[in-house]
Amino acid sequence: MVDTPAKILKENVWYSNPVFIQILGICSTLAVTNNLMNTVIMTVGLMFVTGFTNVTVSLLKTLIPRKVRMIVQTLIIAFYVIIVDILLRAYLPDVSKALGPYVGLIITNCIIMGRAEAFAQSNGPLLSFWDGITSGLGYMWVLMIIAFIRELLGFGTLFGFPVLPAGMTHWTIMVMAPSAFFLLGTFIWVAKSIMLKAEGGK
Amino acid sequence: MKKDGVVYTVLFSFLVAFIFVFFLSLAYGATKGKVAENKRLIMANAYLSAADIPVPDPAKAEEIFKKVFPDFNASAPYNEAMVNGRDIIVSPFQGNGLWGTITGVIGVTKDVNTMIGLSIVSQNETPGLGGRIDEKWFQDQFRGENIKNGIEVSHGGGTGDTDPDNGEVDGITGASRTSSAMEVMLNNKIKMLRKELGGGN
Repeated sequence: MVDTPAKILKENVWYSNPVFIQILGICSTLAVTNNLMNTVIMTVGLMFVTGFTNVTVSLLKTLIPRKVRMIVQTLIIAFYVIIVDILLRAYLPDVSKALGPYVGLIITNCIIMGRAEAFAQSNGPLLSFWDGITSGLGYMWVLMIIAFIRELLGFGTLFGFPVLPAGMTHWTIMVMAPSAFFLLGTFIWVAKSIMLKAEGGK
Repeated sequence: MKKDGVVYTVLFSFLVAFIFVFFLSLAYGATKGKVAENKRLIMANAYLSAADIPVPDPAKAEEIFKKVFPDFNASAPYNEAMVNGRDIIVSPFQGNGLWGTITGVIGVTKDVNTMIGLSIVSQNETPGLGGRIDEKWFQDQFRGENIKNGIEVSHGGGTGDTDPDNGEVDGITGASRTSSAMEVMLNNKIKMLRKELGGGN
């Protein structure tokens, strides 16, 4: 099976989307999506880390002894996450404050290790980079939709700008993590329905 | 050398760890000054806000800070300053919130009878609920509040308590635990300051 960039894009963004098909990275999906700004920074951070981890793993794959493969991958992931954390701390202190421990938790996001193991271990660096970026993209658009609904109903704002009338009662549940469960569930339902319909129509 | 042999594995692990950590320490060293500067700026803004001094440009807070607190001592329990002809005390406080430690700065008059201001430096409360202690409407309620009998964070209409004489401020709807945590840590701080300054009643 030869993977073309277009096919990888389609797979990662839709057919094997890391969030709603592989159900990976759910912890952060619940945690950061009550605010669009935080979601954007978090997902861009993840995209960066996944992309570069994949390149590095792909470059080193012939050198890594099998016994310590996972440990080395974790080390590489941690390296890029700390780089992101240091950059945020130095140049975007407000964002770093708002995201708090979540940046460090990118290390434990299963999407990164999943892609390193499943893709970068057996593919070239360029294709692996593309795979990492598109996986991040698949993660990003799902989280953005959830964050859009949560911030709109929970705060009445989008990216911090008020869009709903001031008199609106904010939905407290949308600010809390459980609402992401409901929204993600609904999202999976809708996405799967569309997918099944498309299959049936073939 | 055998790729799955012990010697190669140990050597490889050591080398990889060494190289990555080396680059990390380079990145850390390169941004250390910037990070420390950001931290100083956050503290300067917090102290100025607690002292109720307007800061037109938060990025230049340090200049104003040096003027207001010329002999600032970060390790002292409190610092004094003269603002608009009033002797005021600013002091850092901390306490347990719902999820983690909340730290901030409180400003009071020297007789510890009136609150000048409050600002939050760090908190890990629920974003959008307890996290709203960061917001201006919540902190502005404390300005000029009479604290002879301590402070009370109460259930209110959710729009803020504008009466400065009753020693009450509005808590945050949906964040009762954070609100009462704030009440406890502020009252502890007020009591402590009163003891240290030997005044008040």
